Amino acid sequence: MLELQRISKSYPGVDALRAVSLAVGAGEVLGLVGENGAGKSTLIRIVSGAERPDGGRIELDGRAAAFASPADARQRGIAVIHQELSLVPQLSVRENLFLGAGWSRRGIVRRRWEEREARRLLRLLEMDIDPGARCSELSLGARQAVEIAKALALEPRLLILDEPTAALSPREARALLRQVRELARRGAAAIYISHRLEEIEAVADRVAVLRDGELVRSIDRRESAGGDDGLAPLDRDRLIETMVGRALSAEFPPRLPGAIGETRLEVRGLSAGRRVRDVSFDIRRGEVLGLAGLVGAGRTDVARMIFGAAAPDRGEVWLDGRRLELRSPRQAIRSGICLLPEDRRGEGLVLSRSARANFALPNLDRFRRWRALVDRHREGRAFSRWREQLDIRLVRAGQRVATLSGGNQQKVVIARWLERGARVVLCDEPTRGIDVGARYEIYEWIRRMAAEGKAVLLISSELEEVLSMSDRVLVMHDGRVRGEILEPANADPAGVLRTAAGIGLSEAPSVA
Amino acid sequence: MNRALAGTLAVVLVFALGACGGADPGAGEGGEDTAARGTIGFSAMTLKNPFFKIIADTMTAEAERHGFDVVVTDAERDVNRQSQQVDNFLASGVAAIVLNPVDRIAIGPAVRRANEAGVPVFTSDLQAVAEGVEIAGHVGTDNYQGGLLAGEAMIEALGEAGGQVLVLHFKQANSCVLRVDGFRHAIGEYNRDRTEGRIEIVAELEGGGLRDEGYRAMADGIQAYPDLAGVFAINDPSALGARTALEQAGRADQVKIVGFDGELAGKQAIRDGKIYADPIQYPDRMGVMTVRNIVSYLDGEDFERVHLIPTALYRQADAEQDPALD
Amino acid sequence: MPEGVAESAAGRWRRRSLDLVGRNLSVVVLVLLCLISSAATWREQNPVTSRSGAAVARQVLEACQTPCSVLVVARDTEADRVFVQAIEQGLDTAGARIAGRVFGQPRDVRLELERIAGVGGSFDAIATHRIASEWGPVRTAGTPVFAPRSYHWPTFLTARNLLNVVNQNADIAIIALGMTLVILTAGIDLSVGSLLALAGVIAAVTAQEWFGGAAASPAGLLAAMLLGVAAAALGGLLSGTMVTAFRVPPFVATLGLMMLARGLALILAVGHQRRLVGGGAEGTPEAVRVDAAVFAWLGNGTVFGVPNPILLMLVLFVAAHLLMTRTMFGRYVYAVGGNVEAARLSGVPVTAVLLAVYCLCGAFAGLAGIVDASRFEGGRPNAGELYELQVIAAVVVGGASLAGGRGRIAGTLIGAMIIAVIQNGLNIAGVASYEQKVVFGALILAAVLLDRLQPKIASRRARMTRASTSTPVQ
Repeated sequence: MLELQRISKSYPGVDALRAVSLAVGAGEVLGLVGENGAGKSTLIRIVSGAERPDGGRIELDGRAAAFASPADARQRGIAVIHQELSLVPQLSVRENLFLGAGWSRRGIVRRRWEEREARRLLRLLEMDIDPGARCSELSLGARQAVEIAKALALEPRLLILDEPTAALSPREARALLRQVRELARRGAAAIYISHRLEEIEAVADRVAVLRDGELVRSIDRRESAGGDDGLAPLDRDRLIETMVGRALSAEFPPRLPGAIGETRLEVRGLSAGRRVRDVSFDIRRGEVLGLAGLVGAGRTDVARMIFGAAAPDRGEVWLDGRRLELRSPRQAIRSGICLLPEDRRGEGLVLSRSARANFALPNLDRFRRWRALVDRHREGRAFSRWREQLDIRLVRAGQRVATLSGGNQQKVVIARWLERGARVVLCDEPTRGIDVGARYEIYEWIRRMAAEGKAVLLISSELEEVLSMSDRVLVMHDGRVRGEILEPANADPAGVLRTAAGIGLSEAPSVA
Repeated sequence: MNRALAGTLAVVLVFALGACGGADPGAGEGGEDTAARGTIGFSAMTLKNPFFKIIADTMTAEAERHGFDVVVTDAERDVNRQSQQVDNFLASGVAAIVLNPVDRIAIGPAVRRANEAGVPVFTSDLQAVAEGVEIAGHVGTDNYQGGLLAGEAMIEALGEAGGQVLVLHFKQANSCVLRVDGFRHAIGEYNRDRTEGRIEIVAELEGGGLRDEGYRAMADGIQAYPDLAGVFAINDPSALGARTALEQAGRADQVKIVGFDGELAGKQAIRDGKIYADPIQYPDRMGVMTVRNIVSYLDGEDFERVHLIPTALYRQADAEQDPALD
Repeated sequence: MPEGVAESAAGRWRRRSLDLVGRNLSVVVLVLLCLISSAATWREQNPVTSRSGAAVARQVLEACQTPCSVLVVARDTEADRVFVQAIEQGLDTAGARIAGRVFGQPRDVRLELERIAGVGGSFDAIATHRIASEWGPVRTAGTPVFAPRSYHWPTFLTARNLLNVVNQNADIAIIALGMTLVILTAGIDLSVGSLLALAGVIAAVTAQEWFGGAAASPAGLLAAMLLGVAAAALGGLLSGTMVTAFRVPPFVATLGLMMLARGLALILAVGHQRRLVGGGAEGTPEAVRVDAAVFAWLGNGTVFGVPNPILLMLVLFVAAHLLMTRTMFGRYVYAVGGNVEAARLSGVPVTAVLLAVYCLCGAFAGLAGIVDASRFEGGRPNAGELYELQVIAAVVVGGASLAGGRGRIAGTLIGAMIIAVIQNGLNIAGVASYEQKVVFGALILAAVLLDRLQPKIASRRARMTRASTSTPVQ
């Protein structure tokens, strides 16, 4: 149905795409994988009409097509779910779903019909969202779901999904994958982009691997499977190798030697409205405590309260035996607590400033001279040291952080806290939207920080990640801690999921 | 691309400068050729008021006859702008400067700079009273006398009945303060030996000397003083604004208006019976006199340093015979 | 091959020069504007200096046989005295006789001529400058008149005018500093014009009523000025509090303060006048005059020929530049403007930073108010009307983004100067004020447009860079 022939595109400093040829047919789901910066997003922008290629040809149904704008592409049945949300926060879910769709009769909105249709779409995605709610009030995950519902509402011929599950809980993600398959069964085509290879495995008929702007491998799972509906299993290790261009020992680095010491952080009875209810736990020196759960279970709220960014109704936080009065992130940082926020671009970094300035921001008191002046030499030295150690890739020292890849951005955030020498590290979805290679490096740094005696809280919606990286895992559901897993490496993921989803809670509080 | 953009911007600006420069006859290279004897710089109080426009135009015409060129600038009632204009005149080397001082005190330092540069400063309409400054000559209206005439006109308009009178003031201008002083004096004289048919000045409202502000002030005045019989507005724009407010309130026939200035719109309103009468000023004579004073100064002749032109009352009968109104 | 190398060298040069232009677009625009203004003000110049005096002396000696008696005519100014001294020196050394000299007005020339005629004296020539040569008595004296030959030069590019340009806009530039900080935090401050007036009036009223009026000591005047600045800073603190503690949008908070401060300034000025003249005095909002002469030094004095407001402006710019580039506070301001949430989660004391920014902006407006009051020898309650718009224009033209986080102090200086040059150029070219408004509107739109286009330009430039570097490889 859609065919790309030798598409090329350059940006300042990079050749984003080099003569990439791809095709996707009706009823087919194409998985597109590759490290960040491999050119996936650029490819999508070209297909969706947001950018024009420098060279090459796009054919739709066998005829040359040049999309003038996203609206043009949409009219021809191409819908895109972007990584960046495109919802109007002030409008309701229903209004957003049908915004620009022109589904009104003589300019009058068919409210009743829209309401019904909105509920149907959201049910398909197994999301419990009120169509009348304002988008600004929704969680990131819920907003992502609305975004997807919006694309589905168009009943597109070609659906493009760019990291659609990054903010979704596992259950929501599974529902989404089912919808994609269902769409394909009805004869539509889909291009599915994800870092999560298990999702690719679950959904894609064919897999295309991009690396450095080139198509390096294409796998048709139907051919090799032989059967009618069966798809050949993916060799994930080889796939990762192809993406990265080098072999990785494992998806997760081994635990570094180093004993788990005495209690470092204690949280007692933390409560905030209905979102967090009586949460208590402690983390020891050198321990990684995982916090699993669905989106909206209250995990982020817990981290923000410990960090002083949100005020709890009740509860205490103790650090190394001293009670903390946390009123602001500034105080938390001074006490030695730091946070890698979930929304890196929105909350972690000042995108208009350089990587160096972002690195230095919470550490300026360390580079201080004569009370208020910044010693730029000391600042520069510290930055280059961490830049080297973390392998932060910059074109220039003063490069704006907005132009960095997700992995490098996260490394800048990590570098600033390493320089700070924090005692407690709160990681909220630290690898979201980060490519495989950088992801591995971030895992290594989490391990290393633990080995240095820091207490690490790891919040993650990826079960595999949270189970493999943590020494101990708490499962949250609906604002409460519902289970503790003492040996996460050997835990049954399905059981964890059940707890997170609130199934069978009355029977056993623990899944260990 | 950059160059193209910067170039475009530059071209736009050149064009703007050129177009605007061309629009002003006193500007640009043309100045040197016609100005055999030099340039006179004029900073008008505001050219939005036709009164000052007339001063500017008659000055330009009269100066041309004597071989001078006039550059007219608009201070827009901002003394900061006016003193900048004085500085610019000094930088471009004018023979003399004429001002309608926006602020009779704060213009002082600028005038002093002109004194130090040896450039004579003349004032018209409004005087500067700052200390230690030298004004070569002043031509203005006898505002106090005008105020007396306005009072007489009001007495005439109200007749034996007398009644309540409102003043639409513009306190910022000293000329207007003098007009109201004169007006109050005339009314006071009239009231002195009578108990009946007295004229009572009930309030002074700020009319801003502008049509819209005069309108608003009058609209408020009608609410506050329902028995009003007359209004004295310190200039024509505020008188016309008051007239509009009275018409809207349906009180136009009961309330007599006395204005000031005698600009064209005011005279037309007098002809149509909308304003009872104006003490009229002679901005044209002011412009001519000012230029003549400058010429006398440069020729080393003696002249009257402060020249006040008396006003005359202008009623409907005068308007009907006025050739300027058709 | 050598051809290819040469081409790439030329390409590199082209690229570099384009790069330079692109990065300093506002400087380029400023230079262009200066050139335009110069061209538009190409006029006859008649300087009154010692060199032109010497030239006149030579002219006289060439034309008239010695012993020659000369009447020297000039105005009563310092420059004229220097000029006359040079004439007399030139004539003296050649043995010419000075029949008389006049320092004054045309009338004085007439009286002198009458005196000379009265005593039966005579002279062969009049030596003077171009302006006095047009005076009636000089023209009709019946003897040859010698004046220095005039030459053509842009009036814009005279020292006097250039100092005028900067001096006239020093207050705008000073306020623009504070506004840059506010705009960097994605805020806006509409109250600056009113705070300027309030500071000026408070300084003037306190100087008159508390610190002794005409007898006020310099220390007293300084205290009065500081009170004015403090009041404006307090005003800024008030809007800062509204913005931070009560989450009022900056536009609304400062709009309120704008009216409030203007009203206060008017009330204070009128109240002062009432006290001065007595209870029944007219409530005219005139300038509150300061009698102490020293008060005018800040606004009208000079140091080494440079007006004080310019010096103050330069000092403040350097200080602000250092503040924004070298201190923690500067970093914090940029961070808050770039992303408030990220700044807060990075431990930046956001509330304190915003309070300080609005407070500083008020203080800068107050300083400008003091300059204004000193310049006009009194506090003007109507000063600074619509300044907020001019100031915002200067900051935006200087490259700061109203969305916050982007902008430089140096850019603001250039922005302020661009506006100053345009205004001055239009003024000397004799453009009426209405047309000036059109030009200004167009300028601001052009600046914003340029701001929007810049990313596109950057990407094109980069592509050109790649193209030109890849040529030699092929």
